Amino acid sequence: MIKVIGRRLAFALPVLLATSIGMFLLGAASPMDPAKQYAGAAVFTMSEENLAQIRANWGVDDPLYVQYLRWLGNLLHGDLGWSTSRHEMVGDVIAARAGWTLLLIGITLGVVLIGSLVLGTLAAYRRGGLLDRGVRVAAYAVQSMPSFWLALAAIAVFAIGLGWFPAGGLTDVRSTGVDVADVAHHLVLPVAVLAISQAPWFLLFVRDSVAESLREDHVLAARARGLAGRTVLFGHALRTALLPFLTLVGTHLPELVGGSVLVETVFSLPGLGAVSVHAALGSDFPLLAAITLITTAVVLAANLLTDLAYTAADPRVRIDG
Amino acid sequence: MKNLLVIEGLGVRFRLRDATVHAVSDLDLTVRPGELLAVVGESGCGKSVLAHALLGLLPANALVTGRALLHPARPAAPGPSTQRRTLPRWSSVLPRPAGDRAESRRGSSGWSSRLSRRLRDSAEHQPEGTGAGGGGVGSGGAVDLLACGEKVLARSVRGRRIGLIPQSPATALTVVRTGRRLLAETLTAHGRDPGLAAQVAIEAGLDPADLERYPFELSGGMAQRLATALALATDPPLLIADEPTSGLDRPLVDHTLDLLRRRCDAGAAVLLITHDLAAAERVADTVAVMYASRIVEHRPAADLFRSPAHPYTQALLNALPDRDFTPLPGHPPMLTALPPGCAFAARCPRVSETCATRPSGPVACHHPLVEVPA
Amino acid sequence: MADLALSRPRIRPGTPVAALVLGAAVGAVLLVPLLLPLDQSAVALDRTTLPPSPAHPGGTDDLGRDVLHRSIYGLRVSLLVGVVAAVAAALVGGLIGGLAGLLGGWVDRILMRVIDTISALPHLLLGIFIVAMLRPGLGAVILSIGLTHWLSTARIVRSELLSLRTRPFIDAAIAGGAGRTRILTRHLLPHVLPKIALAVTLMIPHAVWHETSLSFLGLGLPPHLASLGNMINDGQRSLLAGAWWSSIVPGAVIVAVTLAIAALAGRWRDHLDPRVRAELNL
Repeated sequence: MIKVIGRRLAFALPVLLATSIGMFLLGAASPMDPAKQYAGAAVFTMSEENLAQIRANWGVDDPLYVQYLRWLGNLLHGDLGWSTSRHEMVGDVIAARAGWTLLLIGITLGVVLIGSLVLGTLAAYRRGGLLDRGVRVAAYAVQSMPSFWLALAAIAVFAIGLGWFPAGGLTDVRSTGVDVADVAHHLVLPVAVLAISQAPWFLLFVRDSVAESLREDHVLAARARGLAGRTVLFGHALRTALLPFLTLVGTHLPELVGGSVLVETVFSLPGLGAVSVHAALGSDFPLLAAITLITTAVVLAANLLTDLAYTAADPRVRIDG
Repeated sequence: MKNLLVIEGLGVRFRLRDATVHAVSDLDLTVRPGELLAVVGESGCGKSVLAHALLGLLPANALVTGRALLHPARPAAPGPSTQRRTLPRWSSVLPRPAGDRAESRRGSSGWSSRLSRRLRDSAEHQPEGTGAGGGGVGSGGAVDLLACGEKVLARSVRGRRIGLIPQSPATALTVVRTGRRLLAETLTAHGRDPGLAAQVAIEAGLDPADLERYPFELSGGMAQRLATALALATDPPLLIADEPTSGLDRPLVDHTLDLLRRRCDAGAAVLLITHDLAAAERVADTVAVMYASRIVEHRPAADLFRSPAHPYTQALLNALPDRDFTPLPGHPPMLTALPPGCAFAARCPRVSETCATRPSGPVACHHPLVEVPA
Repeated sequence: MADLALSRPRIRPGTPVAALVLGAAVGAVLLVPLLLPLDQSAVALDRTTLPPSPAHPGGTDDLGRDVLHRSIYGLRVSLLVGVVAAVAAALVGGLIGGLAGLLGGWVDRILMRVIDTISALPHLLLGIFIVAMLRPGLGAVILSIGLTHWLSTARIVRSELLSLRTRPFIDAAIAGGAGRTRILTRHLLPHVLPKIALAVTLMIPHAVWHETSLSFLGLGLPPHLASLGNMINDGQRSLLAGAWWSSIVPGAVIVAVTLAIAALAGRWRDHLDPRVRAELNL
C-alpha cells in the first residue's frame, strides 16, 4: 500500500514540476505584456514611468528563472496570483467555482460508471443480441459527436422544444438562494450530456472485457460448479474484468475534465470551465496556469485513488505489494 | 445395471473464419453408475471438448450434434427439472419447487433474482430446436444434455448431477477469491453447509490451512487439489475429471486416483479424461481410446491393457516407460483436415489399401491385433 | 481518447456507406468553392433565420447566410486543419517514438516518462492554454493539436520498433553486414510507415474535434471565418430562440464526416492487424 502511494507520488511531483515549467515557458514566450494587461484600459492614459513602475513591481524584467522560482514560491505559499481577466485574486476565483465543477464531474462520473457497468455487462452477456448491437452502434455514433454540439442538441430538444429542463444556469433567475431541488433540476441536462458523451469509451471497455472474461477458464469453471447466473456474472466474470478498468478510469479523467469545460460553457454553469475560457480569451496567465495545475494535481490524486482501489481489489498486488 | 449416461453419435465442430475444426466425431459412449470410464488420448485429440460439450460450456461457434442422455442417479420421484418444465418462463411470482430452494437461499431480492433468471435464460450456446421450457427432457427424468438448453443445464445439471474437475486449475480458479471462499460459495449454492469446506479439502488431499491462500499463492499441485475439492463439494452422481493429475507428484497422483476409485465403489460414476495411460490402468473399469476426434477402441480396462486391439492403442502402450518405452513416430492429423478413411493410417504399421475407407465397430480398425466381438 | 481509439476493436457502420459519405464530403469541399464561391462577409438581412427548405437545405442563420453553404466551407477549413495537425502530431510522435524505440535504454525511459506526463494532463485545458498564450489563430490551433495529440503515434512507433528489434530478420540483416542506415530505411521503415499512416488517419477525427472545440469556445479560427466550430458558436443565439438548425446542421456535418473517416480507418486497421480471436479451447 505504502509502496503504491510512494510510487505515485514519485511520479506526480515531477509531473507537476514539469508542467509548471512548461506552462511558465509558454507564458514567457507569449507576446502579451502582463503590465499592460494589469493596467487594462488605463494603459492608454498611463505614462511610460508608471508602466515601468508596474513592471518593476512585478519583476517582469528579471531573468526567467528568477521569475519562475518566485512564481513557484508564491504558488507553494498559497498565493496563486492576480487574475488579469477577472480583476480579483486567483485563489478567490477558484475557491468560488471549483465546487460546482467538482459536483458536475463527480455526479457524471458516478452516472457513467454505474450506467456503463450495467449496460456493458448485459451487452456482453447477450453478445450479438439486440441490446449488444444497439449499445455498440449508439456508442460508436456518440463518440463522433462533440460534447458541445450534443449539449446544444439537448437544449434544442429538451429545453426549447419540450420545455422540460432549463437551458442553462444553475438556479432559477427569480430565486434568491441556492435550493437543492432547483440545482438538481438545472443539473439534469448538463450531467446527462456529459455522461452520454463520455460513456462510449467506458461502455465499450466494460462490454469487451466482460465478454472476454465470460470465455475464460475460471468463469467456465464457476458455471460448471452450478453457481447461479448472477453469482457467475457479478462475482466471477465482472470481478476479474474490472481489475484493469479501475486504473483506466483514472487515465480517462483528463478527457472528462475537457468535456466538462465545454458543457459548462454551453450551459453557462458557474464552474471553472467558463472561467478558463474567459481567462484564455484575455490571456490571463495566472488564472489559466493555476487552473491547469490544480486540475492536473486533482487528476493525479484521482489516479492515486484508483491505484489504491486496484490494490485493494486485486490480492496479487495487495500481497506482493 | 441401468446406464447413467448414454452418448450417441456426438459430434462437435467449431466454425472458424476459414476452416472447420472437427473436435469430436460420431462418438458413442455409455457410463453406468459405479463405473470409472477413462477416455485416453494424446493432447489435442478432442477429449476436453467432450467434457465441455456434455456441460454445455462450449463457445458460441461450436456446432453440436447427437444425443447425450443423462438418467437420474436414483429413478425415484421425478427430478426438479421435470417439475420446472411446467412453470412459465421467468415466473418469479409462483412458489418455487423444492429443488430450487438451494439457489434461492442467498439474497434473492426481487430485482436481482429476476435478473439472474433472465441471464440464465440467455444461453450462449443454445442448441436449435429448443423451445420454451424444458425441451430435451426425455421420459423417466432422463435429460438430453445436448438439447435441454442452458436453463436446465444451469439449474439442475451442472454441479448437481455432473461435476467437473477442470483442466489447468491454475486458470480455472477466480484470482480474487481465496480457496475457502470459493469452496464455501459452491457449498452454499448447493444447499450444503459452508463449514464443510475443511472436510472437503482434506478429502481432496489439501491442507485446510491452504484454503486461506489466494489461487496465485498456490503451487500447481495445490491448485489442482483445490479444483478437485471444488468439484467434490457438490457430490455429483457423475464426475468428469479433466486431467485431474497433471502437475501432481506420484503420491498425490495416486491419492487423487484412489479418491476417484472410491467414489465409483460408493456408486457414483467418473469420466476420467487423461493422457496418462498408467493412471487409467490403475483405476479404470473401462477405457476408451480417442484418436483424432474419434473413439478407436472402447473395451474393459483389463482386456485392453492385456491385449490391445487397435494399433494405436498398442503404440500408446509401447510408449509407456515400464513397457517398450518407444515413442510413436509422426504426428496426429490436423482436426481441420481429417482424412476420409482411417485417421491413423498415416502412422500405422499395419496399413493397407482398405484403410482408405473408414473402419467401424468397437475397435475402429480394418486390421485389429485381436478380434473383438461387437 | 486518441490512444484508445488506436488500440481497441469497435464495430463500424458499413464500409460502403462510410466511403460514400466521405466521398460526398470531399467532393463538396473541392467542388463547391469552384461552382458556388462564398462571400465570407456577405449578409442578407431579408432572409434571416429561415428554417430548412429546398432553397436553403440547411436553413439560414441570423444574418441570412445559408447554413449548408457555410458548413461546406467550414468543413473545408476543419478538414485542412485536421489533416495538417494530424500530420504534425504524427511527425512529432514518430520522431519521439522512433528515438525511444531505436535508442532504448535511458532515452527510452525518459521519453516514456514524458509521454506518461502529458497523458496525465487534460488535453483540452492544455490546448486552451497554448492557444491563449499564443493568441488565437490557425497556427496556434495546429500547434495546440500537434503538442497534445502525438502520444499515441509515439507509443505505436516505439512498440513497433521494439518488437521489430527482436525479430530474426533484423539479426540476419545485421549479420549480413548491413549498416545502421540501411537497416533503418530498408527494414524498419517499411514496417513502421503503414502504422504511422494509419495513426495519422485515425488522428484526423480527433484533430477535427479539437479544432472545432477550440473554435466553438472562441479560441480557434477568427470569428468571421466560416468554420464549423465558429458556426455552432454563432448559432447558439438562434438556437435559444428556437432556430435549431444554425447550430445543429454544422455539427451534423462534423459527426457524419468524422464517423466516416473513423469507420474507414478502422477497417484499414483490421486489415493491417487482424486480431483473429478463435474462441476455441481444445
